Amino acid sequence: MDLNSTPRLAPGCRLHPTENVLLIPEGTLNLTGPAREILTRLDGSKNVTDVVTDLLKEYPGADAGEIQSDVLSLLNRMAQRGVIRA
Amino acid sequence: MTQTNAASVPSSPLSLIAELTHRCPLHCLYCSNPLEMQRAESELTTEDWRRVFQQAGKMGVLHLHLTGGEPLARRDLPELIRAGRDAGLYVNMITSGVGLTEDRLATLVEAGLEHLQLSFQDLDEVSANHIAGTRAHAIKLALVPILKRYPLAFTINLVVHRLNLDHLEEFIALAEELQPDRLEIAHVQYYGWALKNRSLLMPTEEQVQRSLPIVDAAKERLKGKIHLEAVFPDYFGSFPKACVGGWGRQTMLIDPAGQALPCHSAAVIPGLQFDNVRQHDLAWIWRSSSAFQRFRGDAWMSETCMTCPRKERDFGGCRCQAFMLTGDPDAIDPVCSYSPHHGLLKELRVSQPEALPIWRG
Repeated sequence: MDLNSTPRLAPGCRLHPTENVLLIPEGTLNLTGPAREILTRLDGSKNVTDVVTDLLKEYPGADAGEIQSDVLSLLNRMAQRGVIRA
Repeated sequence: MTQTNAASVPSSPLSLIAELTHRCPLHCLYCSNPLEMQRAESELTTEDWRRVFQQAGKMGVLHLHLTGGEPLARRDLPELIRAGRDAGLYVNMITSGVGLTEDRLATLVEAGLEHLQLSFQDLDEVSANHIAGTRAHAIKLALVPILKRYPLAFTINLVVHRLNLDHLEEFIALAEELQPDRLEIAHVQYYGWALKNRSLLMPTEEQVQRSLPIVDAAKERLKGKIHLEAVFPDYFGSFPKACVGGWGRQTMLIDPAGQALPCHSAAVIPGLQFDNVRQHDLAWIWRSSSAFQRFRGDAWMSETCMTCPRKERDFGGCRCQAFMLTGDPDAIDPVCSYSPHHGLLKELRVSQPEALPIWRG
């Protein structure tokens, strides 16, 4: 996963409409910090850079480098778990 | 010693297991369904299930598992899937794949099916069909490339035992080619019909030992590609599992006739009264049904379990297993090395290759 990857949720994985969890086959992943904000932006056409830009627009005061590394680390962890595809 | 108040009830189960029917085209030697099955005439109607799913969604249930028997035996399966989604539930189906055409699959996905689990019995056709008691292996293999074209999560399940455990490495290689999202390798649980074939299916100690590094290596190799879940065989363990996440804590099962059970073999325990979704609301059953109350908390536990810190992790293990092996449903799960009956497992672990298979008629 790098800045040019276009990640999306794997088939059979979706955000719960009200609870702060990701529904996955046979379970749920609890979402903490900015995880939900990141995952809602994965639409299959935005790449990681687009997601970061989008988040910076939403949170203008935030540190760009920090957001970028947060996003990449979350997506990489979730890809290892098989719930994100690049 | 801390005692949990049996009246403190989690507000909702996380999962609802809906056994839509006991009808099944397969007759697996390891079938864990009860010996006495519910007949087609007594099955809940579409409307009954719709009401149950609505009640489940309102309570806060997240996952709905459609199983059986074979869910495909229900003609109203698309309506049931849609009813589950309308109620806000994540819909999973566990199937043999027998009877699943591409048209039918498309209808189920359109209705909202999100995850499909396809069971396999072994690596090669002759052995797989022998275990399943019918010719199903080729059908399953042919189904996989079709499944892969549809937007749903796909799991391959393999139940392992003495007859197929030596093929595990090759089976995992086959699964890698079939490319499921998940692979579940689970040892037989000796409940229901499977208990009849226990001495035939019991793997040897050597088989189990050989299989462990195979599973570990595959987990590492498949990381990020296939999520591998492996369940360790109970009879070879030293501590029990948190069966169904603890009695009346996470799971509720509705059998084909509408009886609500804390786990799918709970009916073996004498004296439990099961309430029916035809008469009661799911939330009432969860809170008040005596069967769900019976082993909640720790008031029922022996002194050994009550004072054991592991009770927060395994909730006293499996009540059905404790009853089936000792005759006492309150006994320490014999899988636990603190159980006075733990030695019994050593005797039961003796594999009897000469035992004859018994299929359900």
